[in-house]
Amino acid sequence: MTVRPPTLRDKRRYVLVRVDPPGTQIDLKELYYTVSDAITSLWGDAVAAVIVQAVICAEGDYVVVRCRRGSERELAIALSTITMFCDSPVALRIIAASGTIDSLRDRMKPSVKASDETAPAEECRFGGKECFVAHCDGQKVDVIEKGFKNTHRLFLIKEDLEEP
Amino acid sequence: MKITDAAVCPYPNGDSSVRRLALEAEALGFDSLVAIDTPSARYGEVEVRNGLFIRNAGMKDVIAQVKRAKDPTTVISVKAGDAGFNRGVVGLRGVHILRGVHAADRNAFDHVTAKMAADNRVAVDIDLSVIIAGRGIARQRAIQRYRDVLVLERRFEFPLTMSTYARSVLELRAVREVSGLCTLLGMDIPDVERAFAGVDRVTTPPKPSVRVI
Repeated sequence: MTVRPPTLRDKRRYVLVRVDPPGTQIDLKELYYTVSDAITSLWGDAVAAVIVQAVICAEGDYVVVRCRRGSERELAIALSTITMFCDSPVALRIIAASGTIDSLRDRMKPSVKASDETAPAEECRFGGKECFVAHCDGQKVDVIEKGFKNTHRLFLIKEDLEEP
Repeated sequence: MKITDAAVCPYPNGDSSVRRLALEAEALGFDSLVAIDTPSARYGEVEVRNGLFIRNAGMKDVIAQVKRAKDPTTVISVKAGDAGFNRGVVGLRGVHILRGVHAADRNAFDHVTAKMAADNRVAVDIDLSVIIAGRGIARQRAIQRYRDVLVLERRFEFPLTMSTYARSVLELRAVREVSGLCTLLGMDIPDVERAFAGVDRVTTPPKPSVRVI
């Protein structure tokens, strides 16, 4: 089969998305199904067929999603309705859209590890309870309460933490 | 114009502290937040206003709670009920926002209530959490109900407010995303701007139409 010449191919756009909270394990296939579900639920099959979305790659906390040119708005609105991914709460923050993946790579910031020098001690206290730091980026600190129950993530800043 | 999210629920109602919500809201393009049951403060560039949300209460309770609210900067909102209740609430001095119209009966917010809301400068809240997190019939019904409210808004010009009801920083949405979601309701950019400025509009005392010199 001959390859279709570039002038006859569909024009595509690439949308750069940051997955919050940082450190979320991104399974591309699962993410594809999540995005697809959100688009179909919001716009229906007909518009989903026009958008032709695909999850291209994931680098750190960033994901590149492809769509047909002209359907970025529909894709962006559908992405903002995604609240859960693999049974955990997430938010997909749209950073930029471009015609090439290369130009989107410039917008990706390297992820900050919890072992950063600026990070507070591994253990901390909040609301009279012992917690440990799950992620720290500048002012922002994500903590998880210690114990078997209530191990959900709390989103705080350094000023919220109590002195040990 | 201040871009305001008219309802967020910080810790302990949610999983994010009010400071973190303010920090994230600033990054997402908001100027102010109304935080339910949280003292007013300013964090960085974001002004956080105390919000009192009265729900599941009869008319007597609503009157008592509105009277009890001493802080003049508190944004008082009441959950919508049936048509009679809504008319009573909208006519009550001190109430700023009527919330949860999408969950009320179909005729609970009619043209009479809309006219009263416009006269008394009481805003109707658009709850985006239903549109963001809802699926299927629940979301369809909410969109349908808000489209109906917007028909009345264009006719009577009562204020609107916009809320994400974020209990977590993950539930906050950027201003651009909110604008996109509002297009689902048939709102254009000027409508969205007016809704973002709705809290300011209902809490600022009206300018007298006659000025004594």
